[in-house]
Amino acid sequence: MLQLLGSQLTESSMNREGNGNKEFVPEITAFTCIYCGYMSADTAGALRLTYPSNVKLVRLPCTGKVDVRYLLNAFEEGADGVYVVACPVGNCHHVHGNERAVRRVEFTKGLLDEIGIGSERLDIVFTTGGMGATFANAAREMTARVRELGPNPLKRR
Amino acid sequence: MPFKTERDTVGAMLVVGGGVGGMRAAVDAAECGFKVYLLERSPWIGGRVAQLGYMFPTHDCVLCRGTADHGYGCTKPTISPALLDFNLHPNIEILNNSDLINLRGRAGAFRVTVRRRPTYVSADRCINCGICSAVCPVSLPSPYEEALRPRKAIYKMAPRAVPNTYVVDKIPRCDTCRRCEAVCPTDAVRLDETEHEQQLEVGAIILSLGFSLPDPGEYEELGHGRYPNVIHSMEYERLASRSGPTEGVVMRPSDGERPNRIAWLQCIGSRDQKYPYCSSICCMYATKEAMVAKDRLGDVRCQIFMMDERAFNKEFNAYYEQAREEYQIEYTRCRVSEIKEDPETHDLLLHYPDEKGRMKEERFDMVVLSVGAHPPNSSQDLAEVLGIELNPYGFCETDKFAPLETTRPGIYVCGAFASPKEIAETILDAAGAAGDATRLMREHVGKLAASREFPFLGRLDHAPPERDVSAEEPRVGVFLCRCTPSVDGVVDVDEVACFAESMPHVTHVRPVEYGCLEHGLDTIRSDIEAHALNRVIVAACSHRTHEPLFQRVVREAGLNPYLLEMVNVREHCAWAHIDDPPGATRKAKELTRMALGRVLTAEPVHKLQVKPVRRALIVGGGVAGMTAALNIADAGYDVTLAEREPELGGNLRNVYYVAEPENPQRLLRDLINRTVGHERIDVLTETELVSHRGRVGDFSSVLRTQRDRSTVEVEVAHGATIVATGGREWRGDVYMLGRDSRVVTSEELEDIIAHRPEEITGLEQVVFIQCVRPPGGVEYCSRVCCTNTMKNANRIKMLNPGCQVVVLYQDIITYGFREAFYTEARERGVIFVRYDEDSMPSLSKLNGELELKVWDPSLERELTFNPDLLALSMAIEPSPGTDKLADILGVDLSSEGFFMEAHLKMRPMDFVSEGIFVCGMAHYPKFIEDAIANAQAAAGRALIILSKDRLYIGGVVAEVDQDRCVGCLTCVRTCPFEIPEVRHEDIGVGAIKGAAHIEVGLCQGCGTCVGECPAKAIHLINYRDEQIMAQSLGSWMPEISDAAASRVAAHGE
Repeated sequence: MLQLLGSQLTESSMNREGNGNKEFVPEITAFTCIYCGYMSADTAGALRLTYPSNVKLVRLPCTGKVDVRYLLNAFEEGADGVYVVACPVGNCHHVHGNERAVRRVEFTKGLLDEIGIGSERLDIVFTTGGMGATFANAAREMTARVRELGPNPLKRR
Repeated sequence: MPFKTERDTVGAMLVVGGGVGGMRAAVDAAECGFKVYLLERSPWIGGRVAQLGYMFPTHDCVLCRGTADHGYGCTKPTISPALLDFNLHPNIEILNNSDLINLRGRAGAFRVTVRRRPTYVSADRCINCGICSAVCPVSLPSPYEEALRPRKAIYKMAPRAVPNTYVVDKIPRCDTCRRCEAVCPTDAVRLDETEHEQQLEVGAIILSLGFSLPDPGEYEELGHGRYPNVIHSMEYERLASRSGPTEGVVMRPSDGERPNRIAWLQCIGSRDQKYPYCSSICCMYATKEAMVAKDRLGDVRCQIFMMDERAFNKEFNAYYEQAREEYQIEYTRCRVSEIKEDPETHDLLLHYPDEKGRMKEERFDMVVLSVGAHPPNSSQDLAEVLGIELNPYGFCETDKFAPLETTRPGIYVCGAFASPKEIAETILDAAGAAGDATRLMREHVGKLAASREFPFLGRLDHAPPERDVSAEEPRVGVFLCRCTPSVDGVVDVDEVACFAESMPHVTHVRPVEYGCLEHGLDTIRSDIEAHALNRVIVAACSHRTHEPLFQRVVREAGLNPYLLEMVNVREHCAWAHIDDPPGATRKAKELTRMALGRVLTAEPVHKLQVKPVRRALIVGGGVAGMTAALNIADAGYDVTLAEREPELGGNLRNVYYVAEPENPQRLLRDLINRTVGHERIDVLTETELVSHRGRVGDFSSVLRTQRDRSTVEVEVAHGATIVATGGREWRGDVYMLGRDSRVVTSEELEDIIAHRPEEITGLEQVVFIQCVRPPGGVEYCSRVCCTNTMKNANRIKMLNPGCQVVVLYQDIITYGFREAFYTEARERGVIFVRYDEDSMPSLSKLNGELELKVWDPSLERELTFNPDLLALSMAIEPSPGTDKLADILGVDLSSEGFFMEAHLKMRPMDFVSEGIFVCGMAHYPKFIEDAIANAQAAAGRALIILSKDRLYIGGVVAEVDQDRCVGCLTCVRTCPFEIPEVRHEDIGVGAIKGAAHIEVGLCQGCGTCVGECPAKAIHLINYRDEQIMAQSLGSWMPEISDAAASRVAAHGE
């Protein structure tokens, strides 16, 4: 009955953005918890929902372990964009680790604005383990956004 | 009952049904040291719960809390699902796609014949690449998705099913093409497989058959199957599930549009002429579904059409209130008689009488039929094979006082097969059934223990001792799984291998064909030994599915399992970038480089060992406490049972009859006699708990007790603690209670009916008022009162048929088969009058007569009664001193004031603090049968601890570097589990008094405190900052990439 609904979703998620600026391939780091975040990446793979290959995952036991220093370190080392993939709010495996992560991301965004890197390069998304399409979309959106912003000004040459 | 075995028993159990109950029972029995066969009719375990999106009232996504959708789950015990351990548990053997066809023997030594239907795919060889499914030409509706999505003939229920393998549904159309067989890279597809029979010897059988969904098509007037926008609740669950066909975006089936108005119709297939019982779960799940709709769709209007709102369990009432107040979900009391469809728009027209009886017609975009629970499809046949009896409704027949036992000794039942019930109660039953069965097989308890020494669960009898590699130079081995063609069809594995060789400290690189198959595992094991590797990287598939497997191999080769790092080159590279092979290869190299950074900084991790004290302390000697004590003692372990009152029995002392035929006073006598007489139970009456210290397996408590007419304090060492302190009927100054002898509580009424029935025969009018609660207190359903009122009202009608009996109520909550007592009361002429919460009945005295006034909302007028006897159904409140006891034990209380378990749904009998359990009314008001099942669950969980030779605690936990701690309390405030404490005796930086301490046995290892600690005085084992930062968090590797490219070119020569 709802094949239609399923296919709508898959189709929209399959819509890849055009090649645009070919020279600049942003390097993006995503911090995930080992639960929903990592699992949604697994689901995206299992369903062959493709996304740009320039996103690399760092596993943490919980996004509550995301340290402001990890985020800053990633930018310092040259990441063009960084995001955190967390369990949905209210569904953190450690009750509210993801809410802590939100706060740290917000705090770090302030620092990034202050030092001229720009808060748009940092974000947090929420997925459950089954949401492969959402994970893939996040990777695409972040890539498109950072591509607009251009390379990280700190990038080592 | 204590089980005397004359002959040997078999140390194995059979669990029939692989839903959430079966999984829990299987894991608990396996943890107690039994061999467990888990038989499931379908190809995968998970059952109904696997289909659900969210659980009420916690709104946890069920995904990872124990369902096949994740198949793996959360790795932390506090929130761990039933499934995790199970996926890996060495004691459990899953017999999927199988039927039980014959049973012989007796309790303790059954011989079972099982028919194994072929799945046509060898689970040992299937690597889940999905190529077979991609080439399969047959498309069918997926039952798991309630036909909302198609599947192939060779398919998997969900991406993470257990067993994690594809199967062939060999429908007639699928016979000839054999394409799946041809393309399978590991020769796992065997289309010529035939069914075979298997004989099992087991000591006990636990039935967890679940329930079946009623066919909503039986109610033609509701249009299910004819109108596309009329769906049943399980279809809605899939629509609203994040793992469902729309990732949880609720859409109208007819056109994919967002619905603006949704109606839920309750009691479809329940509480009617044909199915007279209440399905118990639908009120709450409809509320949940409406709340999820509001969450996802914003301003959607949700209306629930119901008869009574049955929110009768812990935290349910608050949830229901939240739905009404905060979510603005509308509840209308009526049964909708017909649904019509507007054929153009497919909108639905509902005709219904409103609360005042006026007919209304309203238009909805979508209607959800809340289908209840019917007996499982296979129950009739299976009951015949097993020789057990079913009740008149087709569910399993049980005795009220032995709620987990079927009519045949040695066969136990749990979950919805006994009566419709939700997840938490199913889990309680399941743990209880495992606990109950333990008594029968007590000589085998703990025999087949699986150790939790390692991050994987297992027995390593033949593994070499762990090598100390601390002094060695790093010698890293990199194993690259080709997983042909899953990985190497996209990722250039040879290029990654060349790159790996170029990395520092890498001394051995080896691509393997299939790392997870026996040959691959052997290669890794022998290479580690042959090349004296001391760190290992396996670039293969997901950590979530395969890390424990490779950790085990590494350990078998003599290395600490934490010296392994995995790289996911399948799901995260080859599959996600199937359209970009160079990008996938580049990412695979980058991830391998990150892994090297991490593994070079990795350190071995060891857990602490505790040898458990083989005694349980049980606080509270009522029906729950005594049942738990007997269960543990019968299984062969010692118990100290502390009761505050001079006599055992608790509330059961005041129960003289129950709604069912059984005699509660006989149960009381029986329990007391067995408890007092049991050689393994020390009963201490007039005893209270003074202090409770230590950790799981090794507690020490002080009890204040009476000895030789003086108060003394005794110390008890014990491995586990069970809280069974119960509850009591609330007393307060309401409705002239205590001031007029004609006003009694239901407990007092029961005493009159039982002991002075002559007082009843002269009465002309008796009025019951339900839901009499302490004014201003937290509102919750006390669960037992409606049924108690039915039993008393029916008794009064039996003794005195001419007496008018009136029940004033808000919602009649006679859930499950108790609906029959409500029906009986109505048939006997008991009058039911509903009152609103806002206009409570008022009582006055006029010329010596009681005058009771109540506003009837359906008649829209005030009614006046002059009862000869007014019976108040008082709320059940926690036992006095509950808060003090919670303080001593260091555990929490729920909003209602009862003890708060670790997780409302998945761990209803455990506290967050390991080794402490709760049962009976201390948990929440409940019936005797529930208290018994709970007690057995708590006993079963305690036995898991008591039966172990060694407990292992710690591992990946947070550690405080007290030399850097300033005692600022940040960790105390941050920890989601309230574990850290700043202790006076610990010395912090600069020798200040007071530094943080994190109890290793309690820490859940999330690292939230680590991320927040301003002094960086805390680190998380296996996730130290050095380890994380060593993964080059920001930079990719252009220079190495170039170098690798030239090496690849050279390699090609």
